[in-house]
Amino acid sequence: MVGWSGRRKALTILAFTFPTIIGLVIFNVYPLLLNTYTSFTNNNKFHPYPDCSAGLNNIIEPYCWSFFTNAPKGLGIPFTIVEPLFKNYQTILGGLFTAPGVLSILTLIGCLLPILIAYQVDRRFERGLERSLPSSLVWLAGIIVSLLLLWLFGATAWNKMIDTGDFMAVVAKTILFVVLRVPITFVIGLVMALIVSSPGLPGKTFWRVVLFIPWAASSVAILTSLVWQFFFRENGTINQLLSIFNIKGPVWLADPLYAFGIIILVDVWYSYPFFMIAILGAISSISNDVYEAAEIDGATYMQELRNITLPLIRPALLPAIVLTSITAFQMFGTVWAITQGGPTKGAGVPGSTEFVMVYAYKQIFQLNNYGTATAFATIIFIFLFSATLYSLRMTQMTKGATA
Amino acid sequence: MISPPGRLMRIVQMVILVLMGIVALYPIYFTILASGRPGQSLYTFNLRGMFFPTTWTWDNFRVMLLETPFPVWVKNSLVVASATTVLSIVVVTSAAFAFSRFSFRGRSFGLVLMLGLQAYPGLLSLSAITMILTAFGLYGSHWGLILAYTTGTLVFSTWNLKGYFDTIPIDLEEAGMIDGCGPVQSFLLIALPLARPALAITALLGFLAGWSDFVFASSLVPAPDSMKLAVPALYGLSSNLGVPWGQFAAGFCIVVIPTIILFLYLQRFLESGLTLGGVKG
Repeated sequence: MVGWSGRRKALTILAFTFPTIIGLVIFNVYPLLLNTYTSFTNNNKFHPYPDCSAGLNNIIEPYCWSFFTNAPKGLGIPFTIVEPLFKNYQTILGGLFTAPGVLSILTLIGCLLPILIAYQVDRRFERGLERSLPSSLVWLAGIIVSLLLLWLFGATAWNKMIDTGDFMAVVAKTILFVVLRVPITFVIGLVMALIVSSPGLPGKTFWRVVLFIPWAASSVAILTSLVWQFFFRENGTINQLLSIFNIKGPVWLADPLYAFGIIILVDVWYSYPFFMIAILGAISSISNDVYEAAEIDGATYMQELRNITLPLIRPALLPAIVLTSITAFQMFGTVWAITQGGPTKGAGVPGSTEFVMVYAYKQIFQLNNYGTATAFATIIFIFLFSATLYSLRMTQMTKGATA
Repeated sequence: MISPPGRLMRIVQMVILVLMGIVALYPIYFTILASGRPGQSLYTFNLRGMFFPTTWTWDNFRVMLLETPFPVWVKNSLVVASATTVLSIVVVTSAAFAFSRFSFRGRSFGLVLMLGLQAYPGLLSLSAITMILTAFGLYGSHWGLILAYTTGTLVFSTWNLKGYFDTIPIDLEEAGMIDGCGPVQSFLLIALPLARPALAITALLGFLAGWSDFVFASSLVPAPDSMKLAVPALYGLSSNLGVPWGQFAAGFCIVVIPTIILFLYLQRFLESGLTLGGVKG
């Protein structure tokens, strides 16, 4: 049993995992460390190069390594660690922790409270034997009260929050995008999956393939989105169709609200097949016996849907929902091809579709604000890292790893 | 739901299906039509031409294939994607085998740590990767790209393949062990041939990572024309003044339609994988 135990075993494991470890260290761990370090410096286009004799520079900065031969050194003033240490983070987060910032966020949370209360009330009814109100009514009441509160206080609080600085302006829009996009995608995916999986449908495989095509096209989102952009140009397909009915279409992509809606539309187009496929898989794993029993008892289509299909596919869908939320948060290609983050109110102000990744890309590659951009990246990473770990715990994806 | 729906329900279903089918196909169909249209405008001001082929010419394809560096871009993309495929299979299979077959301290921690690290978006670490590749003299070369793509596919593919290895009964390898088979032989001769379906997914994911990426390819290999990859180069066409839209559409057809076909092939694997929890495989 050569190599299965003892010293040889450790060597074998190392040999098998060595390329992976090296790859992760160079392309994941090192950039993480360098970015965190950079976030404490004033590295930007005026201070582009490190002073190799200071601080940690000669260890962490590639420009200071001895085998780095063709460094364009000596241009500009070398960057230094900023005083005070968390200045970049303060710049990014801006007025978030001042009174108006905190107040606006609290207002927005307060507006959403009724939905949370509705959820709790519904849960309590669920546990009790008899329910005094149907579940849909509780939810409806919660949502209506929330919308009312949002209509009354939402806009002012939102604007105040956006004004606290780039961070909230960008992150709040991204979260709004995710919150709108994921449920829409889910509902469309669910409806399509229910239709495609309905018994006796002619051409099942054909429809499945056709409806899957947008997701396939999303792998080259940057090119496919260009085609979508043509549709919404001033003389694009949509406006030509409108002109038949003598309607002069707007300049879609110059309007902040329309642009935001178009990004959601295109992204929903790209990603509903993902949910469709996930739900189809989950539905096909439900045993037919359950439905047979229900039909003998005279259950209607809607009853079967609400009491059998939805509860049984729920465990399989949680991971899919979490994964799409995380990917939607990081969406880049679609926005870049369609609006490049615009339309914006003025130079330096994040545009209405400037989501997290677009903002980071612009800050790093167009404005070279490395110091503040990496501070932004670090905050986003902490957020995404916790979201990933939380989703792992919630969906128990790691069960296989510990078994 | 085992009994077919009523007549009215079926009609509603078919209407929704046809509408969604048109929405799903139209952007691709539109581009195919545009690629065969004479002149360089993607727009046609004649309504019929937006939905039916009125005139068809192979001019755009001829120009793209013979008079621009487009074939070179496609060749570069093919080379990078194939190299990524091979490299990621070598790296991923061995790591997945170790994570599946050996029990060692820090195994589950290592797997979770990998997922956590992957939460750092590649786009944010791009400036650091640019620097480190410059330091090693790989900036602007295809090798740097291949290494970056391979690491990009590492985590998902390792998880996926580890899950697959876990489902292969270990009995065969134990039989091999008794006959004096070491880990390397057992990996190459027993586990790998059994994992062929999962290897196909790993290979496809590696290929697509290299073939369809935009951000890395456009910043790590910015110039010259002879080094560019197909996707960023095609995108670059559209940002010129006086964009050759017809040629763009022809290039789009050549690059995107094979990608869609590859993805359709991948679909049946994804279907079985997704229900098991995404990355659990």
